[in-house]
Amino acid sequence: MTTVDISLPLSHIPVSESAHPGLGLKNRKILIVADDRAKVRSLCEILRPAGYAVSDVNSGEAVMDSYAQFDPDLLLLDVALPGVHAFEICRYLKNLRGPDAATVIFIASRSEPAEVVDGLAAGGVDYISRPFREMEVLARIRVHLLNRLRLAQLHKEDKAKSRLLCMTAHDLRNPLVSVRALSHLLRGGAAGAVTPDQRDLLDTIYDASQSMLDMVTELLDRSVLDAGELKLTLQPASLAALVVSCVKLNNATATQKNSTIVLECGALPEQLPLDAPKVRQVLNNVLGNALKFSPPGSTITVATAMTATECTVAIRDQGPGVRASERDRLFKDFSRASARPTAGESSTGLGLSISYKIMQAHAGSIRVENLPGGGAEFRLVFPFAG
Amino acid sequence: MKLTGKILVVDDEAHIRKFVTLFIQSLGDLTVLQAANGLEAREIYERERPNLVLLDVNMPRVDGLQTLRSLKELDPHCTVLMLTSLVNRQTVEECLRLGALGYLRKDNPPDEMIAQLRRILTTALAPSPPKVA
Repeated sequence: MTTVDISLPLSHIPVSESAHPGLGLKNRKILIVADDRAKVRSLCEILRPAGYAVSDVNSGEAVMDSYAQFDPDLLLLDVALPGVHAFEICRYLKNLRGPDAATVIFIASRSEPAEVVDGLAAGGVDYISRPFREMEVLARIRVHLLNRLRLAQLHKEDKAKSRLLCMTAHDLRNPLVSVRALSHLLRGGAAGAVTPDQRDLLDTIYDASQSMLDMVTELLDRSVLDAGELKLTLQPASLAALVVSCVKLNNATATQKNSTIVLECGALPEQLPLDAPKVRQVLNNVLGNALKFSPPGSTITVATAMTATECTVAIRDQGPGVRASERDRLFKDFSRASARPTAGESSTGLGLSISYKIMQAHAGSIRVENLPGGGAEFRLVFPFAG
Repeated sequence: MKLTGKILVVDDEAHIRKFVTLFIQSLGDLTVLQAANGLEAREIYERERPNLVLLDVNMPRVDGLQTLRSLKELDPHCTVLMLTSLVNRQTVEECLRLGALGYLRKDNPPDEMIAQLRRILTTALAPSPPKVA
């Protein structure tokens, strides 16, 4: 990554890009949105000699056309613009273009604190005001453009890292599959009789490779999601049948921990548009966690219900609950909470973030609340149009 | 019924070929041939005419899809089962369209995979019914 020192004192900031090459600011495009010609002229006089490509537009109504044509890196947006308010333009632009939208600096004649706050809340990053002081205007623009470049660079690197993670996880899977399969064959006597001690060692190899395989699969899911490749195939499916099958599947794990899963089947619509394998993944993840984090001998309750607008699956455990300070980051990547599995089970801290993305992609949600008597309730909500 | 026949396992990873071979051999009196890439697969197929081909989807250079095409060109009646790790629906659909019998997840738990192999081989290796004159 290119690191750029932006901590230069103002007096050392070069006016012309050619005096300070390599920052990537030369010919960066700035669109001035103002109907006051004097403002436009004086800004052009400052910006053009500094090596920026400058264009201008005199109304809020015309700004999107100019934006599309000119594709600016930065907008200087006059708060005194007649017609559509500058903050509205900024908000619209940020909603439309997301993180790729041009950086917005407002041109203000006076800076009332409330107005400043509103402008920053609308997505602007700074203000400049008249009389324009050349050094200050250039310094502010320079800082914000450099931040923009850095952010773009970070996004690019983040994507590259996701790709690398995806490839690594993918390449690690097959050898693990083989270690698991070969230890399975060995312990089954495929290469001759095994003693109880050898069998015990082979069981350990088998379990360790299984647990690594689960972790690598989660990593892979996560990196696929990061690369924006979460594609749902929505088909009418029965949520109730999915819940029942996941409860059955997890019953084996529950039995090992002497725990019980109780299913309280409330009414659910016969069919919902779902990506069944992905929803199964979410259910298995949340149910798996409930078992993992509850002490042996616990009762996990899975309850389904529906209203006129949504269907819910609530999974209640008897674990330590989720600390208030951890609730917000629980659904973020690698965010293992302070709670630990109670029987040494493995966890990458990715399962819930994957579940979160899958639920979001279904226009649904996943939330967690602590239960008054202890334990936590994870609630999966699917929208339902009557 | 003891299974008999000749199976060709095509996968670029030797360890995968090894365990798939052992899984198959645990099911009966089966001869397993191995190929590490699509070109080798075509050569062995031409020479040995196996009853069934287990073909990895994701291989470098000549991938499973291309190999499937080439095998079907050689013998339109060849029985091919795709081996996959993670299911890429599009690729699998394309393989089915090209005449593959189906697909088998090599990352399924061993017991499950052996049971699936037993079902598939029982059908694929069953003697064809006598032709009515």
